[in-house]
Amino acid sequence: MEERLDFAVYEVFAQADALSPHVHVFNVLASSPDMAMALAEENFFRRAEFVSLWVVRRDQIHHIGHHDREGFKKTPKAYRTTEDYKYLRDKWRYYRDHPMNPDGSEAEGVTGDAAMDD
Amino acid sequence: MPEETLTDQEAYFLERVDRGDRIEADDWMPEDYRQQLVRLIAMHAVSEIMGALPEKEWVPRAPTLYRKLAITAKVQDEVGHGQLLIRVAEDLMRPWGKNREDVMDDLFTGRLKYHNVFHMATPTWADAGVIGWLVDGAAVITQGMSLSCSYAPYARALQRIVEEEGFHIQHGESICMALAEGTPMQRAMLQDALNRWWPALLMFFGPPEKSQLSTHQLRNIRYRIRSKTNEELRQRFFSKYVHRIWSLGLTIPDPTLQQDPFTKEWTYQQPDWDEFRRIVSNHGPRSEARLGLRSTTYQEGEWVRRTIALSPAVG
Repeated sequence: MEERLDFAVYEVFAQADALSPHVHVFNVLASSPDMAMALAEENFFRRAEFVSLWVVRRDQIHHIGHHDREGFKKTPKAYRTTEDYKYLRDKWRYYRDHPMNPDGSEAEGVTGDAAMDD
Repeated sequence: MPEETLTDQEAYFLERVDRGDRIEADDWMPEDYRQQLVRLIAMHAVSEIMGALPEKEWVPRAPTLYRKLAITAKVQDEVGHGQLLIRVAEDLMRPWGKNREDVMDDLFTGRLKYHNVFHMATPTWADAGVIGWLVDGAAVITQGMSLSCSYAPYARALQRIVEEEGFHIQHGESICMALAEGTPMQRAMLQDALNRWWPALLMFFGPPEKSQLSTHQLRNIRYRIRSKTNEELRQRFFSKYVHRIWSLGLTIPDPTLQQDPFTKEWTYQQPDWDEFRRIVSNHGPRSEARLGLRSTTYQEGEWVRRTIALSPAVG
């Protein structure tokens, strides 16, 4: 078999502005990081701007994919999010109109439990 | 593909495709799927690379500095698209121990074909305009369909490509409109170019399917590599461009061309499909010259690639 040239695949990541993360752009085939950066600029930034550009040899990237997380969706995650706390808005509105007494008792005889169960 | 004899792996793969899941390079895939993709993407890649050549001929002869800059940018984009696509093809060919050198070899030996339109001559500046307006317009119709391709890396490459094609089309429209608004000689030049390109534009989408789809097409549709037939794409092209062409006072060189007012279906004079097969097997007007140029440049650049590959990596 004929001799093959020694090029490697580099994945390209670019950051559009200071508050944005580096985002995967595409990849290039290059013999060195310098060449990879030059090719990345030529191939992907003829028009768009960036503030920072990374090139990473593909074989240096460690990866897990969604197949490795088949069980992930099987348990609910609402307790980790604001999803379960939507009732708070109504309660705040209620207490704005019906403030608690300094000793914590209800001003108009509504029990705390009843309000919580809304 | 007899679906009752599928292995579990194949069945799972098809189920993913049916679900609208996108396949990545390292996912398991049927060998047949890989072959269909390489066939399509390598052909697309070399078509972009060869597609830079007809317009490149007009870089030194562009009528103004602005036009020269714009057409240079466009030629550079086409080569850039070739670079993106050849990477996508290479990742698919890796299990076969093949890479871009094999793609280029296949191009030079004629095993790998490129689009019929890039075998044609570009004798006038109007040809450069028509390529941008109508050839790229036709290409975007095909590529727009392929954005929904089940193979994710190809779809991602196409997103970038289609975005730039938007500029190419308007660049072509601008050239054609300027000629249409120009002197009688300029208008005649544009009409001549349209006459030259019309059959090639119809050929671009491939032969119409008679009653039955080819095996390749059926597979590609089953795999969600493509979703429309050649004829459906060509009909879209007519609907999008015929009225625009007429609106510039141009004559389409097909007196039979008409749209059914009820079915909206266009009927048209078939181009010579034998001529199409001759052209794509590298017997078109400029096939030999352009392949010769590409091949010579490739050989002359060999020492550059070698030097770069052998230089120690920095960093």
